[in-house]
This record gives sequence, structure tokens and C-alpha cells, in this order.
Amino acid sequence: MARSPKWSTPCAAALLGLTVLFGTFLLAVTSPSVAAAGPSLSILAPANDQVIGNGTPVILSFAVANFVLVQPGRVGQVANAGEGHVDLYVDGAYSRLLTRVEPVSLPLGPGPHTIRLQLVQDNGTPLSPDVSASVRIVASHGPAVGTPTLTIVSPRPGPTIAHDVYFAVEVTNFTLVDSTGQPNAPNEGHVQLFLNGVLNQEPRAYDLGFIVDMPDGNNTVTARLVNNDNTPLSPDVSASVTIRIQGAADPIGSEQVTGGVSLVLALILVVLLLRRRKAIARFSPERPARP
Amino acid sequence: MNARILALIVAIVGMLVASGIPASNGRSAPLPSLSIISPTPNEVIGNGTPVAIVFAVMNFNLTEPGNATSSPNSGHVDVFVDDTLIAQTSVNTIVLPLPSGPHTIRLRLVTDNGSALNPDVNASVPVMVTRGPTGGTPGLSIVFPQEGALLGTDWTLSFRVTNFVLVPPGGPAGVPNEGHIVVRLDSASYAVLTDGAPLHLNLKDGPHTVTLQLVDNAGGPLSSNVTVSLHVTVHALLGRVTPFDATPYLALANLLIGLGILAAIYRKLEVQ
Repeated sequence: MARSPKWSTPCAAALLGLTVLFGTFLLAVTSPSVAAAGPSLSILAPANDQVIGNGTPVILSFAVANFVLVQPGRVGQVANAGEGHVDLYVDGAYSRLLTRVEPVSLPLGPGPHTIRLQLVQDNGTPLSPDVSASVRIVASHGPAVGTPTLTIVSPRPGPTIAHDVYFAVEVTNFTLVDSTGQPNAPNEGHVQLFLNGVLNQEPRAYDLGFIVDMPDGNNTVTARLVNNDNTPLSPDVSASVTIRIQGAADPIGSEQVTGGVSLVLALILVVLLLRRRKAIARFSPERPARP
Repeated sequence: MNARILALIVAIVGMLVASGIPASNGRSAPLPSLSIISPTPNEVIGNGTPVAIVFAVMNFNLTEPGNATSSPNSGHVDVFVDDTLIAQTSVNTIVLPLPSGPHTIRLRLVTDNGSALNPDVNASVPVMVTRGPTGGTPGLSIVFPQEGALLGTDWTLSFRVTNFVLVPPGGPAGVPNEGHIVVRLDSASYAVLTDGAPLHLNLKDGPHTVTLQLVDNAGGPLSSNVTVSLHVTVHALLGRVTPFDATPYLALANLLIGLGILAAIYRKLEVQ
């Protein structure tokens, strides 16, 4: 079998090799996938401005690319821009050192918070340029969604003889907490009870209200949901009940009976007095004798 | 002969230098070290949140306990709280729920088999845990009744506490922003409040002074005394509508008429 003289020559083979090498070089230079990508960091969850409800911890998920997470301070470790760890800050305060890409549970108090992640080298210095990601969230003991409602379930409107009355309310889509000056949070707060328009008390969370010594007559008690800082919700959520406190028992009955007895006694006394006067007149010595 | 001995000595020294024996100390691995990054000394951890302890090691490989061979440069960290071993960790952050009060957190590097390094490598940090907030000035105010109010015999006092958490007495001393309320009625001790429930009072007629004071777990006043006083006047049956009742007067009249009847009967008998 005869070979083609064109490909059998050393010169042609060298030319072919150079062509392949040059092509490979061009491919390497022009291919974007080969270009060195910088480290990146992204927060997968929670979403920005997400409300974390029901007092649950924030589960932070993140992703790291083109960066190797390693334990800092290993034996023989040399600072390298391509490896390091993640520093986690909550509201600007250092909180965690992360060396694994796995969800982090963060128990946070009510109110808005900012969570920031930052890639740093093994020696703790930030990368250049800085690689960080942050997310704003709002934590609350209340539910994340829903419109709060309030209902007074006891007492019912109408008359009552008691001057000391317990008040029970029912709330939905809202969590009652004791106010200690903590920040406001969605669907979280406490109840205020107003008696005839005047703030009377703030019952402890999920306790009954107890208003004592209410005046006789109609009394309107209003229950209102308020934020942790005692400001009303927007829109206002309140409910009212009017109860009529009945005063002392009506004395007319006993008065009539006693008055009737008085009348009878008075008549008896009058009769006795008249009969006595007649008797005196009959036996009087000045009276002329009958013929 | 001397030249041979000298050459032999030079050769031996050269071999030693080449073997690195004289420089062995200088080239040995640096000793492991340990430092606590967070919390900082005497930091206050508020709202009863767990304490996140972040530490850094140097020249030490953290490995899961029981998963590595014992080596003086690898192992894990024993975590002590108030000298009690409560956890082991091989990651740089550990979260511990701690009760209120001062605590000392101590970390110690140990080898995989649990033995301490030689020399011992540890670090400690004192912290303060409180169920109250870490900052802010405690405040106390009375929501109801208002100063100078005229009240009935029974009434409730509703109050508001800020930047302070009410807890039962007897907790550790010196814990910031937590404690209870001491109530004084007319300068005499009346009650201790450990939650925010309104206080129910039943008082005699007349003027009264109620004083509320925030105190720490030991019952002492706060560093900046937080006290609020209320002056009220109590008047029984305030707000009650009492209708006029003539029954007692009628009964008295009955009595007098009855006496009159008796007298009339007696005099009638005399006349007869």
C-alpha cells in the first residue's frame, strides 16, 4: 500500500503539529470557560425583606463558588486567595465562622435584621475585591402573613350585676407577647383594654383582662391590638362591648309593705284616740245629768 | 595525624549540618495556639439567646472526635462552661444555650483520644447572660390609674416595663436588665411582681401612695434607681347609684305608732 508522499514528509508532519498546537492555543485563549472566574458568594435563603414568623430561627442557606472553604489555622497553612472561610455578621456584629456550605440556624429577636456573609482568607483578611452578600429580614413571633383580627368573647353585651368583670379576647393572625420595649414586628404585640375610652390595663399575654369596681350603668370596654411600642396597628384592630352594670336592688317593694303596715297602725291609733275621747266625754263630771 | 583528625571532625560536623540535626529546633512545627474571637470578654448576651462561640486555632488541624489518629497537631476542642465539660467540637463555631448569670467559657485543644496537648493549650472568656436586653435603660411607668385619681375600693394598677425583663426572685446576682418589681403601699412592703399582670388592690377609704421599684435578682435597686409612685384617693362605692330607700323611716314610724296604740289602749283602760 502506497502512502501519500504529501503526508509522509517530515516537513508536512511538523506543519500539521504546529497547526494543531496553534489551534489549541487559540481555543484556550478565546474560550470563556477557561478564563479564571473569581470567587463568588450568594445567599439562597431567606429572601430579601422576608418575614420570618412564629418565632422560628432564621435558616440561612448560601452558596460559594470558585473558593475552597477550609479550616483556618491548619498546620503548615499558607494564606491563599483561593481558599479561606466565611464570616457571618448579624446587624454588624460578628456571629459565626463558617467552613462548610450548609444551612445555618440563627435565633433572632423580633424586628428587622441584616445578615451579611463575607469570604475571607485563612488569615482573616477579606478578599480583594471584597466578596460578600447580605440580606435583610424581619423576625417576628407572629405569623408571617395574614390580617390580625380581635374578638371579645366574654362578657356578652347586656346587663350584669357584677361590678368586677373578666374580659376574654380571641385573636387570629397575631401573637400576643409581653411588652418589654422590644422592637416592633409584624403581627406581634399585646392587648390594651379601655374602659369608657380611658386606657385601663394591658393584660399579660394570653391572660384575661380583669376590670374591677366598674360604675353602675352602661360601660363600654374596648380591646385594641397594639404593637410592642404601644402604637395601634395600621389599620386599627379593635373590638368593643357594652355592658350595663345594674345597681343596688330596687327598694320599692319593701317600702310599700312597710308603708301599708304604717297606714293600718295609724288607722288603729286614730280609732283608739277617737273612742278614748268619747269615753272621756261620757264620764266627765261637768257633764249635766240626764233628766 | 592532626590533619586527619581535623579532617574527620570537619567531615562529621559537615554531615551533622547536612543532616539538619543542629537546626532541628528551628525547623520543628510551631506550637498550636487557640484564641476566642467571639464573644468578647465580659460581653453581655441578651434576650436569653444562645451564646455563639467563635474561636481560631493555629497550627492545629480540627478533626471529628474518633475519626483520626492521635497526633499532637490534630484533634478537637473541648468546651467547658464554668469548669464543666459540656461539648466537643471540630468546627470553629459552637452555639450554647446558657442560663442567666455570669459564666466562664473555656476551650481546650485536645488530641483525638481526648488527652490535652503538652503544653496545655486553652483559652477562656467570661460572659454575662441575661434574659433582658443587652442595652437600653430600664424604664417603669404606670398606665392606670392616673396620678391623683379618685378610685373605688377595688382597683387594678396596670404598669409598663421597658428594657427590662421580669423574672422570679432568686436568680444570680448582677445580671443586667432582669429582676422583679417591689411594690410598697403607704411606705410598707406590699407585693413582689414577677410578671406584667396588673396588680389588684383593695384599699380602705382615704389617700394612699403606691410605689413600684425595679430591683435586681438579689432584691437590690438597680444602679440607676428606677422607681415610680402614684398617689390616689379611695372612696368606697364610688360610681354606684344608690336609690333612696324609705323603708327604715317607715319602720321607725311603725314603731312609734305601735307605741302610740299601746299608750292609747292603756289610757282607755284607765278611763274605764
